Amino acid sequence: MDLNSIVVSNLTKKFSFSIRNSSLSWFKNLFFPKLKEIVAVNDISFSVKHGERIAFIGPNGAGKSTTIKMLTGILFPTSGNVNILGFDPTKDRKKLAYQIGTVFGQRSQLLPNLPLTDSFEFFGVMYDMPEKEIKIRIAELVEIFDLGSFITQPVRKLSLGQRMRAEVAVSLIHKPKIILLDEPTIGLDVVAKKSLRDLLLKINKEENTTIFLTSHDVGDIESLCDRTIIINHGVLIKDLPTEDLAKTFVYEKYIDLIAMNNFDKFPSLPEGISYLSKDKNKITVAVDVNKINIQESIKKLLNLFIVEDIDVYNADLETIIRHIYERDS
Amino acid sequence: MKEIHKKIRLINKILKTLIKDSFQYPHRLVIDTFTVIARCGVLLVLYWFVFKLNNGIINGTTFVFTAWSIFFYFSFSTLRLHEVSKWMMDDVRTGNIEMLFSKPISYLFYRMWWQIGMGLYSFFIVTILATIVLIFIVGLPQTMMIGIFIPTFVLTFVCAIILTLFLYSIVGLLAFWIEDINPVFWIVDKAVMILGGSYLPIALFPVFMYKIALYSPFGASKFITHTVYDSWQVDWYKLVGIQLLWIILLGLIVYFMFKKAQKKVSVNGG
Repeated sequence: MDLNSIVVSNLTKKFSFSIRNSSLSWFKNLFFPKLKEIVAVNDISFSVKHGERIAFIGPNGAGKSTTIKMLTGILFPTSGNVNILGFDPTKDRKKLAYQIGTVFGQRSQLLPNLPLTDSFEFFGVMYDMPEKEIKIRIAELVEIFDLGSFITQPVRKLSLGQRMRAEVAVSLIHKPKIILLDEPTIGLDVVAKKSLRDLLLKINKEENTTIFLTSHDVGDIESLCDRTIIINHGVLIKDLPTEDLAKTFVYEKYIDLIAMNNFDKFPSLPEGISYLSKDKNKITVAVDVNKINIQESIKKLLNLFIVEDIDVYNADLETIIRHIYERDS
Repeated sequence: MKEIHKKIRLINKILKTLIKDSFQYPHRLVIDTFTVIARCGVLLVLYWFVFKLNNGIINGTTFVFTAWSIFFYFSFSTLRLHEVSKWMMDDVRTGNIEMLFSKPISYLFYRMWWQIGMGLYSFFIVTILATIVLIFIVGLPQTMMIGIFIPTFVLTFVCAIILTLFLYSIVGLLAFWIEDINPVFWIVDKAVMILGGSYLPIALFPVFMYKIALYSPFGASKFITHTVYDSWQVDWYKLVGIQLLWIILLGLIVYFMFKKAQKKVSVNGG
């Protein structure tokens, strides 16, 4: 039995578009335009096991959404192969759609003028579910996602948090084996984000649904995903368990120095220590422990500054991810 | 067989959902009614006056035929099938197409039935009310009371729906290449309007224009305006045949354009 839900091999997507050349006439520009090619995804390969929770992250324009759209059959790859649950999305898009759910955080699939129940029923029919099964599934999802209080309200009257919960719930109407989410928590407040993450975890545990999400929110990655794939400039740069990601920049520590009075001078620092922020009340420095250990750095810093308090800490996940992006660019 | 049943069930659901949606916005019905009154009503008053000035007959036809012909055009237009191209353009421009491409449906099938569903409620209400009003005001021409009228009218009406959807889908699919289809839409829409007999009834067309209306897809998509005239009883099979030929030809164009368009999809953020 194949353990993989998703297998991506050497996937590449190039976009080409015409650019206006001011030295050419309008006729030549129209009929013989100069084409510019952009490689959005460049020869990436990875696989995802059934029931895994994957964060597929990268800075803006990295190729995340393009990849998700190739996985769902919306975009055709320029080269390479995608196999999802045994289907090739370019050839079996409709068959594949019965097995996957999609949520695009910036778009809505719900019927805006009608109560939420209509959207559930509409998509239930679209996925060719029997009426009885649709009703049972709606009841299940209403309970899991706690939609009862607004199920009869027109969708356009829902708050963003309620709507996103509904979007995810509707995308699960047909019990998909994989759910692909493109920035599902975008624009949500902290409470709504947590609630959505908890619900996704619940679905993953109870229905063994594979979760594949793109997000810029570190909280989504930390609390939801057991594996992180990082892509930048269309190239896969890291694929590792999320807990190992935190250890990636373990050689870098941070020290906050709180001023006794005010810092009035900012002298140059010893090798291995660099300023991250300089303020009259607080200085933050980064320490490369490969070059200088923490004990030595504290000693040297205390010789340079008069401090009231000192705080040593590791980089948080957001900083680590930022470092990875910066290093790669 | 299962596939057909699945499609019929989905069509039924789309139509029911959109009729329910229409109830949420009763003002749309009011707008459609006023549009028909404003455009069709004013034209009918003008033609009534012109016919009166010409002793009731122009080019061998009378006002009652003209009135029904123009009414059929405007009644059909409340279905708003031409908007299918604008929806397609919006899908491409806004990236909404990704939502529909990730569902187990044929995009074109879904868009076309969605368009039919959008106008169905207004079409029925406006048509029924306006038909009653027209019967009372101008009466029914003899040609609409013979046995062949209703079946051939239904046939050409169904063909007109398919042909209109195909014609405007071709315009809509151009959005995959040129994004802004408005100039093309404008040309096609005006061609349909003129050759379909909206402002000038087809009975008053000069010969060369009548021939263009007869053999072009623009005119053929509105052959319902021909059904009230005497010539329909003799020519209906020829006109329906022309419609069928255009349906086959435009259907093939839509099919191949969509095949190509699928590979042209480009959505912001991927």
